[in-house]
Amino acid sequence: MSALIRQKRDSFSDRDEIPPGTLYLLILKTLALRGRLHGYEIAEHIQSSSDDVLQVEEGSLYPALQRMLIKGWVRAEWGVTVGNRRARYYTLTTTGRKRLGAEILQFERVMGAIARVLRPA
Amino acid sequence: MSLIGEWKRKLQMQLRRGEFERDLGDEMHLHIELRREQQIARGLDAEAARASAMRRFGNTTRMQEKSRAAWGWNWLETLAQDAGYGVRAMLRTPTITVVALVSLALGIGANTAIFSFLDAVLLRSLPVKNPQQLVMLGEGDMAGITQSFASTGLYSYPFYRQFHSKNAVFSETAAIFSMTNHVHGFVDQHRDTELINVKMVSGTYFQTLGVGAQIGRVLDENDDSHDGDHPVAVISAGFWKRRLGGDPSALHHTLRLGEKIYNIVGVAPTEFFGTTVGEAPDAWVPLSMTDFMPPGWGGHKDNFSESLFILGRLKPGVTVAQATANVNVLFRQILRGFPDAKLTQENLALLARSHVPLESMERGLSVLRSDYSEPLKILMITVGLVLLIACANIGNLLLARSTVRARELALRQALGAHRVRIVRQLLTESLVLALAGGALGVGFAAVANRVLLRMISNGQDSIPLNVSLNLNLLAFTTAMTVLTALLFGTLPALRATRLDLSTSLKSGQSGTVTSGRVRAAKVLVIGQVAFSLVLMMAACLFLRTLNNLSRVDVGFNKENILRLDIDSSALGFKGADPRANALYHEIENRVSAMPGVGAASFSAFTFAEGSWNGWVTVPGMPIDRKIDVNHDVIGNSYFKVMQIPLVAGRTFGPEDTSSSQQVAIVGERMAKYLFPTGSPLGRTFMIGLPGDRNKPDQKLVVGVVKDVKFRDLEAPDLYIDYLPYSQSGWGFGDFEVRYTGNFGAVAREVQEAIHAINRNLPIANVTTMHAQVARSYTNRRIIAELSAFFGLVAMFLSCIGLYGLMSYMVTLRRGEIGVRMALGASRADVAWRVMREVSVWIVAGIAVGLPVTWEGERLAQRMLYGLSGIDLMSLAAAVGVLLIAGLVAGYLPARRASRIDPVVPLRYE
Repeated sequence: MSALIRQKRDSFSDRDEIPPGTLYLLILKTLALRGRLHGYEIAEHIQSSSDDVLQVEEGSLYPALQRMLIKGWVRAEWGVTVGNRRARYYTLTTTGRKRLGAEILQFERVMGAIARVLRPA
Repeated sequence: MSLIGEWKRKLQMQLRRGEFERDLGDEMHLHIELRREQQIARGLDAEAARASAMRRFGNTTRMQEKSRAAWGWNWLETLAQDAGYGVRAMLRTPTITVVALVSLALGIGANTAIFSFLDAVLLRSLPVKNPQQLVMLGEGDMAGITQSFASTGLYSYPFYRQFHSKNAVFSETAAIFSMTNHVHGFVDQHRDTELINVKMVSGTYFQTLGVGAQIGRVLDENDDSHDGDHPVAVISAGFWKRRLGGDPSALHHTLRLGEKIYNIVGVAPTEFFGTTVGEAPDAWVPLSMTDFMPPGWGGHKDNFSESLFILGRLKPGVTVAQATANVNVLFRQILRGFPDAKLTQENLALLARSHVPLESMERGLSVLRSDYSEPLKILMITVGLVLLIACANIGNLLLARSTVRARELALRQALGAHRVRIVRQLLTESLVLALAGGALGVGFAAVANRVLLRMISNGQDSIPLNVSLNLNLLAFTTAMTVLTALLFGTLPALRATRLDLSTSLKSGQSGTVTSGRVRAAKVLVIGQVAFSLVLMMAACLFLRTLNNLSRVDVGFNKENILRLDIDSSALGFKGADPRANALYHEIENRVSAMPGVGAASFSAFTFAEGSWNGWVTVPGMPIDRKIDVNHDVIGNSYFKVMQIPLVAGRTFGPEDTSSSQQVAIVGERMAKYLFPTGSPLGRTFMIGLPGDRNKPDQKLVVGVVKDVKFRDLEAPDLYIDYLPYSQSGWGFGDFEVRYTGNFGAVAREVQEAIHAINRNLPIANVTTMHAQVARSYTNRRIIAELSAFFGLVAMFLSCIGLYGLMSYMVTLRRGEIGVRMALGASRADVAWRVMREVSVWIVAGIAVGLPVTWEGERLAQRMLYGLSGIDLMSLAAAVGVLLIAGLVAGYLPARRASRIDPVVPLRYE
């Protein structure tokens, strides 16, 4: 019975989901580039700077941001948007900046390894 | 560092939770709003834009939950929730909770208490540096002074000195006098003497153990270098606090011990109690002072006065096997090298055969260990079984409760709760129960420890044994508690969650799902009965043993004898001082003349006080080294006081003086051995061997007495002879008084009489001979009393189990019973059916328990006395008591069943 009610996959088929574990990296990098952003801006930036290839389930930014707040990688403060709305703005902390370096290193290590597997010398 | 920051932030979020929730909500709302506007800007209509924004955002609730999870402590929250739920569940069923808590507290508390003793006596390492490197020469199972050649248990001081310098396997070695000197001394000029326990040790003792002083210094080699000129002492922290009030200037005080005044040079660390578990010396004094320390054992420079334990710290990398080899080579070499060694054929053969084993000193020496290791192990098993029975009981209670909650649990599962989640919740509830029980148990254990210590000390000063709460113990108790929770909680949790949902939901009675549960409960109850049988049987066996021991014929009349110790060495008398003999005579005469006193006499020993023993030589007979004779030195009225019957000849009298013929009285067994033919009267023997240095005197046998028990109740009859103190001086002693009337009054008058003769004579250990005999089997008394107690507890718990299960089953079968009664079954029939079922359980339990019982009795054989094979009387008693108690427990539900009104249950069917 249970096999019949398997959930249908989500339908944004023309975009790729971001590889697991890289969301932190993307957020950190985005904040490093752009300084002070609120959640929507982060999502927009990730999508546009990946030429709309990378698809973030936008809501999942928020649990990630909460975890990063707890870890002390980002700082949050309330501010006002251009459209005069209240929004929570995130900035990178020193710990976050260090973390970004570590995340990039790790990412490159993994990507390099995968590349080697795919194209053996 | 970052972890702490993380926790701080988490805590902040917990504290301002509402604010954070709101912030998150606002933030998410804004996001969706902006997206919607953006979509409208791209040309979608309002509805499509909203849908698109929502879709792209994902499930808001889930995101919020995930965010909350990030704030952490989710597991903790669930745990707290479950625990809270557990507490409420406990409060809802107070009877069950109280029964469970009491049995848990008792079970865990008893286990904690017994384990704390097991730990203190058997397991704990000495509080010294790297105790695992310490070994001692020989087994350390005897203490005293011996002259026997090639002793591998005790060593002379000259031997130690040579061993110390020659050995190649120990980085440090130390010597300890095997006995503790109980000295009546005093601090500074106080003059009021008190008993001070002095341990004589080599100057290397503290260094070998790696123990420093908390004030001043410890003993060193210099203190032990010249005989008699280093009267210094290191005092224990206990003595320092007790006698000097913890005075920081302790080093300005002195100790007067015997003739000499000792400077206090240091205070030992608080946790240090020496090297013997269950003893607590007040002071450590260098062995160089041996000859001056009361009671004057002496023999410090004698190559063959063997009285020391030797211990060493293994050099790194040296194995015990290598060390043993080296030690044995040295042992022979040193003994043969002594100029006064008597290298007779026999001694050489003895030396060739001897072997010095190395024993670990990691846990120190202990006299308690030989007496209590087996009782403690048996008791540990006992209390373990009691806890198991308690667990089974609680398991059953929870099973019954889970039936009541079946609908609730089924509903939750139907609504999608994972089984694991529900099992976890039920186990958390069990854990809450167990932790509460464990906490109560620790409190109970603290009380039980004091009671147990008092029992072991048996009326004397409390044995200095550290059984207070420690990390070891807490770890044990915690492990015990968690294990308990798992034991009693797992089965009900699994049972409760494995069910056919629809049936449970449909039927309030949930009758059809209980058969498995009842089967599990039956197994538990039968197990309880089986374990109870084992414990009841053990209790019966140990009680019978105790009874047998109390009836052993000791050979003397132990009733109405007062005994006390005086310490004549406190007056400066040493050994065979004629002034001491005069004093003894005067005391004997004065006390004998008191009203209410039949006779009074001094003696070197009475029952269970140790011995002076050795070989004897009869002219013209080969020496039998297997015959070890116990010598006692006594006053003229000793046999009259003890009421030991004279078989032949005479007792000692005024005619036996220091200048008259040396005389002896022998026990019957000794008489038979020494003089197999003809009358022993008028024959002679020598104490010791012909080759001994102190040419032994010929003793003329003037009397034969009945044999008595001497060392303990269980040893077979020993060879005993008696010498008069008028001829063989004995410096300090036991005083025995046969009295009539009130013990307290006589004891006071006797002490007054003694002090009237000499005010400064210290008196100690005033008690009755009866108590002294009973004290020799304190360990059996403890094991009997405790096993009886736990046997009853076990039985009581099992009866609760039987009662609970049967009541539950009667409730379940109300319908069936109703039908039966409606069809004509009488009330007696119904009751009988219930009783029959209870009996079947009990009999099944007994059948399971019997083989365990037999095996158990075999294992405990060494703790039993006067019982051989399977003791049918104990078995009958155990089975009988269990049957009666079980049937009583079953009777109540049976009666309830027989009173069921057939109409009531039928109406519900």
